Amino acid sequence: MLLLSCVLQGAEAGGFILIQDTVKCTGRGLLKCFINAALKRGEDVHVLGFESPETEVCAGLDRSCVQKLHFHKGFPDPLGWTRRSSFTVERFASQHITQLIKDTQQAKASVLVVDSLSLVLRHHDPLVFCQTLQELRKGGVIKTIIGLLHSDLHQQGIVGIVCYLASTVISVAPANNERHSVAKTTRRTKSGKVMQEEEYFSVCKDATLSVQAKPRQPGHVQKERDVSEADPTSNLTFNLRLSEEERKAKEKVALPFVFSQEKKSALLKPTPGSGRIVYEPDDNDDFDEEDPDDDLDV
Amino acid sequence: MFPELNSILNSTPDSFKSSDFILVSDRRADASFLIHHHLSFYLRGLDHNVSGQGVSLAQAREKGQLVFLEGLKNSIGVILQEDTSQETQPLSYLRTPGAGLEGLFRFVERSVRQSGDGDAGESWGPPVLLIDDLSVLLSLGVSVGAILDFTLYCQATVCSELQGNMVILVRCEEEDADDDEEGSNLLRRGLVHQCNLALHVEGLPTGYCRDIHGQMEVWWRQGEETIYNQRKIFHFKVHDKGASFFARGTSSAVL
Repeated sequence: MLLLSCVLQGAEAGGFILIQDTVKCTGRGLLKCFINAALKRGEDVHVLGFESPETEVCAGLDRSCVQKLHFHKGFPDPLGWTRRSSFTVERFASQHITQLIKDTQQAKASVLVVDSLSLVLRHHDPLVFCQTLQELRKGGVIKTIIGLLHSDLHQQGIVGIVCYLASTVISVAPANNERHSVAKTTRRTKSGKVMQEEEYFSVCKDATLSVQAKPRQPGHVQKERDVSEADPTSNLTFNLRLSEEERKAKEKVALPFVFSQEKKSALLKPTPGSGRIVYEPDDNDDFDEEDPDDDLDV
Repeated sequence: MFPELNSILNSTPDSFKSSDFILVSDRRADASFLIHHHLSFYLRGLDHNVSGQGVSLAQAREKGQLVFLEGLKNSIGVILQEDTSQETQPLSYLRTPGAGLEGLFRFVERSVRQSGDGDAGESWGPPVLLIDDLSVLLSLGVSVGAILDFTLYCQATVCSELQGNMVILVRCEEEDADDDEEGSNLLRRGLVHQCNLALHVEGLPTGYCRDIHGQMEVWWRQGEETIYNQRKIFHFKVHDKGASFFARGTSSAVL
């Protein structure tokens, strides 16, 4: 089964699923598919909607299970400027969220969807944000957290931290044709195994996902190397091989610029009969008998 | 108003998509001609009695169709603390560094809600908010996050609630590896995430040309319920009476 479909079906329950997008390709469609899949499984879904209106988030969702969706209005007033929101970004803390979920229905492990984590990160310290996420995961009230992050609006380090916290990271990017997009899914299971896949996907109008495997690049197939290499000196009209004596003679040849022992001793002992230098100092010359290099500590 | 641009964007003053957030941006070029297009486009849409070439801005202002906030002109007074009246509340962020743009948003909200009631009780219909240009706020010391919060609130009020349209101009600097932290490119990316349609104007990558003034990328992002993500590039030439747009390689100078 394709990895993205696996993650969508909630094959490994729980965890923190991060959907990363950029301006080139939005991840909101994929987020909607996750919401729809959770609703169809009969799970309670709580959406903290800070960036999009409720109508947009709920459009296309399965009508029969929409009552299990609880949209907590951040948008159109995520910061509380007009006092029309039921949940502001400022209240993104584990105690407030836990209380919000407990107030809504009977304590059954729910799915928490955050749209978007980018707006939360804009107004919270990254460390506090990470702590909140960890507390929510371990709290017991929330089974799965699904968040949308616009990775091109934050520093790489911040994006890295959030990815590290996630058990599954799905990065979306545009594909060559307009009808599909590419999703790179990285999933870490509880046992520590990491699975990574790149797949094509498209979001249908009824918020269902259609996933296709990405064909492998043809150029990446590795050919097997020949075990025995052919001997290049065979089958020639001239002789490139050496006999035993020829090989020994070759090894004995002293190479011209190699400083061997014989050359060294030849240079150090000057042969008699070589030229001499006779120096007769002029009146103006300052001739010093002493060796100028005497004081060198060599 | 440029008829060719109308046909590219598939809209006319009589029938255009409402609740749209249109982002106009430029880099090493001047996209203000697109703001002029949108201004006359929407004023024409409001008042069908407008004839001929021009739309009189002065008349529109008198009738209450057009509300103008002269940000730069008024900001000097605010910085020098001369005028602390109600009129300068929108620019109060200039006095408190690190403050958000809540005051500016309140001014916008008041204006767009009031615009429904004209002088003679006539309703002008859904409001249109035009901002020229948003990157000035960056140079005045406002953070990118605060500006994005402001535009989110404007979009929520003007587009989602009042079913009006919003057109914002942003000027970008050169793309730079160090630029990712703060700056006009980060602001533009944040706005592209929020918008429905992005028009980006740049000079030609091959250099200056007498007959083609630049290229404009049209990026259809998302509608109410559908996600498009379709991009097309056109060439344009600005002249006295307007601008002409054509597909790449079809300039009259070339053909």
